[in-house]
Amino acid sequence: MSTIGESSNPLSRFMSDESNAINASSGPERSHVGEVVESSTTELVAEARQLHGAPSFGQFVRVDSEVPIVGIVFNVFTHSIEPNRRPTAYGKTEDELRLEQPQIFELLRTEFQALVIGYLDEMGPVQILPPQPARIHSFVHVCSEDQIRAFTHTDDYMRCILNTVKVPTDELLIAALRQTMRAHGGDRAYLVRMGKELSRLLGDDYDRLSSIVRRAAY
Amino acid sequence: MAKRENGTGVYKSLRGQEIGVITRGSLVEGLEMKLDARQNIEDMKAGKFVVIEGDKNDFFSMVTDMRLDANNQEVLLHPPRQEDELLRQVLSGTSTYNIVSLRPMLMMPKGADGDEGPRPVKAIPSHFSQVQDAMEEDVAKIFGREGDEQGKYFSIGSPLDMDTPVCIDMVRFAERSNGIFGKTGTGKSFLTRLALCGLIHFDKAVNLIFDMHNEYGFKAMKETGQSNSTFVKGLKQLFGERVAIFSLDPQSTRARGVQPDHEVYISYDQVTVDDVATLQDELKLNPTAVESAYLVYAIYKDRWLRTLLAQEGPDVEEFAKEIGAHPGSLVALHRKLKRLENFPFMVQKGHEDGDVVDRIMEYLDRGINVVLEFGQQTSMLCYLLVANIISRRIHEMYVKKSERFYSTQKPEDQPRQLMITIEEAHKFLNPSAAKQTIFGTIAREMRKYYVSLLVVDQRPSGIDDEVLSQIGTRITALLNDEKDIQAVLTGVSGTDGLRSVLASLDSKQQALVIGHAVPMPVVIKTREYGAQFYRDMGCLDDVPPAERRAQVEKKTNALYGDN
Ligand SMILES: Nc1ncnc2c1ncn2[C@@H]1O[C@H](COP(=O)(O)OP(=O)(O)O)[C@@H](O)[C@H]1O
Ligand SMILES: [Mg+2]
Repeated sequence: MSTIGESSNPLSRFMSDESNAINASSGPERSHVGEVVESSTTELVAEARQLHGAPSFGQFVRVDSEVPIVGIVFNVFTHSIEPNRRPTAYGKTEDELRLEQPQIFELLRTEFQALVIGYLDEMGPVQILPPQPARIHSFVHVCSEDQIRAFTHTDDYMRCILNTVKVPTDELLIAALRQTMRAHGGDRAYLVRMGKELSRLLGDDYDRLSSIVRRAAY
Repeated sequence: MAKRENGTGVYKSLRGQEIGVITRGSLVEGLEMKLDARQNIEDMKAGKFVVIEGDKNDFFSMVTDMRLDANNQEVLLHPPRQEDELLRQVLSGTSTYNIVSLRPMLMMPKGADGDEGPRPVKAIPSHFSQVQDAMEEDVAKIFGREGDEQGKYFSIGSPLDMDTPVCIDMVRFAERSNGIFGKTGTGKSFLTRLALCGLIHFDKAVNLIFDMHNEYGFKAMKETGQSNSTFVKGLKQLFGERVAIFSLDPQSTRARGVQPDHEVYISYDQVTVDDVATLQDELKLNPTAVESAYLVYAIYKDRWLRTLLAQEGPDVEEFAKEIGAHPGSLVALHRKLKRLENFPFMVQKGHEDGDVVDRIMEYLDRGINVVLEFGQQTSMLCYLLVANIISRRIHEMYVKKSERFYSTQKPEDQPRQLMITIEEAHKFLNPSAAKQTIFGTIAREMRKYYVSLLVVDQRPSGIDDEVLSQIGTRITALLNDEKDIQAVLTGVSGTDGLRSVLASLDSKQQALVIGHAVPMPVVIKTREYGAQFYRDMGCLDDVPPAERRAQVEKKTNALYGDN
């Protein structure tokens, strides 16, 4: 977190006000939702700040680093931090368990994986993989609607998703489209435009196209 | 039209919205445009006037056909359901798209002015050239603007879906024979009246109009779609002194509220054998009957018809023997020609008013247009007979005048260009008649003798090919019959597209204009023949007095200066 807090930072227009403010004060309530624990050029793993507190599937996230990196969450999982201690079933509600056995929650962590789709530079969103991956321990924020809009103005994010083999492509596309739709104020024309791009990207696959479009609009 | 750099290095067209891009095509077969997904295919009407913006040229083109297409059979097998509006929107322009066929008609170098005007198409635009709606300026650049100094351009309508006037070049129009075609009720008579108004208003030709249905002189019916019909003004009402009404049926003319300038009588001695020969079809005469008419003529000359008709039934055979004609044929000829005696305008001797043809000629010489009304005499036989007799003699006079002009070469001897309007033209100009009637001769000899034709017909396929190919400008309303369409397009190159355009015109007030008087074929919505038009033609009858005074003042000022 070297340059981000400075007010002269050219990237500040891509940071939500609240995150700037928090970075400046470095107070106890931080706005980040996770912290990078594994990082590569194409994807990253972050630990959620709170148990079960990961951003949703398909959400756009931004990693604070020298060049802020943008990704889409494509997997969320919660597991035990002790390799040999698998959680076992207790037959109680979560509230009862929190009262009786609070320590077991201490041993659980929520993590999420994000697909890197680009980064932000002085000029605005760049739909290219960043030159360097995110640094471990960088904070991860949920993108503001402005950022999502800027990033999804073109169809490149869909191409990124389609080009990845590891993710549930169609589901992720649908979730991402629904996110962006919201950021674009539910503008149907936008969905139509993206649908057309998608039709081009999918080539001849009419069946897949119609299924994605239908579910994204649901 | 030039492009303007908009500061970002991107060149932007100055025309309106792009309607598509060129994707394929050839010079011979025309071009194909992929319609922009935002455009509705239903707005692309056949005959629409569009501009393709190439790199170096603008190509002025006509929409000739359109097609729905899909890049994927799957889509067609499982079309989106009716309620799946979104998917249909997504597919439109991507998987399913529309192809519009364009026929470039003219090209013009970009940024060209005046002298580098439109030229015939010898190139095609490159891939993905933008296609745009034509603008007012484009239309004016190609077709000219009414109100030019020479009074050359006369607006006869506007392109489909546009309000800009399309003009025809009246000088070129008057130079050659012209045709107005279309099914019954498509607006032929209205178009003809418009064209005549143009010729008279801009004084480009003097007209002789054989007005079979009394629609051109004084008041004509206008169908309104309801039971009550209204009337529109005739040429006499619009141009007053410059138009004279001749009538074969003065009673009927008077009944319509106007005193004919001249009543028409035709004496038997004015009828030549050739005139009768042109009635062969109508009278169902066989060639030997015509032969025997020549025999009668050989002996009695001008009085041949009078003499023949003077014979009573039984005497005709005797008469035939006397002159050495075949009795059967002469009896048939006699019987059939007896029909002429039923025409009230046929008289024994020349009328005291003098010869009607001389009268007409006098008027024409003074630049006064002649409308010859037939009144109740609406039989084809009558129309053919009268039009032939009169036109033949007028033509003779014009030939003499022209010859004189050619020998003296004095400008004052130059005859006024004459245009003769005939309806049901196929009756005069069918392959057999065209060889005999004077009209065939006029059509073929072109402008040599300063006479040309304006033929009005609903069955152009009945007209002789050779005559058709001499027709300079063709104004064609809707035609359905394949043969008729073919006939109208005789001698026009690149007609494939025009065929579909012709067949898809509206059933009223739309026409395709091709030929000598327009630089490129164009589909028009015919100019409204009504109050505004009357005013444009300088007829102020219906204008409120105050406004009329103002207009007259304006004109006087223009003539004599303000003070
Ligand atoms: N230019 C026009 N202006 C006004 N009305 C027109 C015009 N052209 C056609 N119409 C309408 O169409 C009807 C038929 O036209 P008309 O010229 O009589 O057809 P046609 O001579 O081909 O049988 C007219 O009565 C009139 O109502
Ligand atoms: Mg008519």
